[in-house]
Amino acid sequence: MNDPRNSNDSEPTTHFGFQSVPESQKAEKVAEVFHSVAAKYDLMNDVLSGGMHRLWKRFTIELSGVRAGKRVLDIAGGTGDLTRKFSSLVGPTGEVVLADINESMLRVGRDRLLDKGVAGNVKFVQADAEKLPFPDNHFDVVTIAFGLRNVTHKEDAIRSMLRVLKPGGRLLILEFSKPSSPLLSKFYDAYSFKFMPLAGKLITNDAESYRYLAESIRMHPDQNTLKAMMVEAGFERVTYHNMTGGIVALHRGIKP
Amino acid sequence: MLLTGLLAGVELGLNRVLAMDSTALPRLASLSGRVIAVECIAPPVQLFILPSASGLQLAAQWAGDADCHLRAPAASLLRLATSKDKTSILHSPEVSLDGDSAALLALAGILQDLELDWEYELARWLGPVGSQLLSGHLRSRVSWTSQTLDSLRLNLADYLSEESRSLVGQREADARFAELDQLKLSLDRLDARIERLAQRHKPTA
Repeated sequence: MNDPRNSNDSEPTTHFGFQSVPESQKAEKVAEVFHSVAAKYDLMNDVLSGGMHRLWKRFTIELSGVRAGKRVLDIAGGTGDLTRKFSSLVGPTGEVVLADINESMLRVGRDRLLDKGVAGNVKFVQADAEKLPFPDNHFDVVTIAFGLRNVTHKEDAIRSMLRVLKPGGRLLILEFSKPSSPLLSKFYDAYSFKFMPLAGKLITNDAESYRYLAESIRMHPDQNTLKAMMVEAGFERVTYHNMTGGIVALHRGIKP
Repeated sequence: MLLTGLLAGVELGLNRVLAMDSTALPRLASLSGRVIAVECIAPPVQLFILPSASGLQLAAQWAGDADCHLRAPAASLLRLATSKDKTSILHSPEVSLDGDSAALLALAGILQDLELDWEYELARWLGPVGSQLLSGHLRSRVSWTSQTLDSLRLNLADYLSEESRSLVGQREADARFAELDQLKLSLDRLDARIERLAQRHKPTA
């Protein structure tokens, strides 16, 4: 497989939804999307998933096995759904770091958590998943929920997550994936490309961001490709669990 | 995913109920960080309970280790949830308990001691006047129903034993039971006496 970054002729390109854009522009374009949707992110999640995103996140928490006193990194933590649960599980002796590259999402997440009284063991860090600003072997659990598909260099991000995990620590990647049934796939395509932009237009007056969301899901690696990427990066005992017919998959890997 | 959704609903309702007791959440905070696994043998279902200061978290599975593991059939779990004497049920042969049983007993104690402030919750929705009117009305209805049921029970007992003579009255039954006890005691004495006489007259070898 050719790595576009090895091209010498011009700046390598990457996908932004179905478009091809120079790599240096992807982060900026993704940032624009999330600046636009941050204020109504939770509402849109509930509307578009019919509340299912709460169950997918619950399952992620269950597979994390987080205990009191542990240190957890929630990358692309957005509005802090996972961080809130982790904060309660690690208790006052543990620590949860909510990291997000997008300032607007981080601000909404911080305000929302403070409003709910979640404080003391939570830190907020604006960070790029590809270059995590944390020491090696630092976290017991790293999670990234619905964030990896927006990262420009996914392999670099997975390697960075491996670096900051303690040996024996686990990485959990919750992300949209490929439906296992062709019939569900057809329905899902119609839903994603027709209903999602329409709902985006009606609720946030921004159809483009939700068109990007649908396109970026299609461009994201499927279950087995992502599993292979995690193994390639150095994770062991990599498994994945399909949820809602494979629309979403939770990958888990252990740092050796 | 269905079980996860079901547990999410139960957890939401349970935590709302726990929030209505002023002491439950501070007491649960002392169990924070513990994982209690409850495994129903028949039907086979497993549930993990994670107490914290914000309530209870229920999980269908848990990737970490549990501090306490309770295994029992559904009937025993139901008896354990409703009975005050939990120790005798925990010692029954079909129930097995591994790990820190104190965490489980503490959690059961907190749930059993719940004193829910329904009027406060009503006041949040209806206001102080509305909640006072409704709760006053409900209290008088409950009191009337309780008195009516007591009266019905006593009248029915009187009718069956005194008027229709279908059943024996309580005092008459007690007297008969006392006579039976006396008779049983006399029989035992007679039996012992015959045994003693038989021993005395037994030919020596």
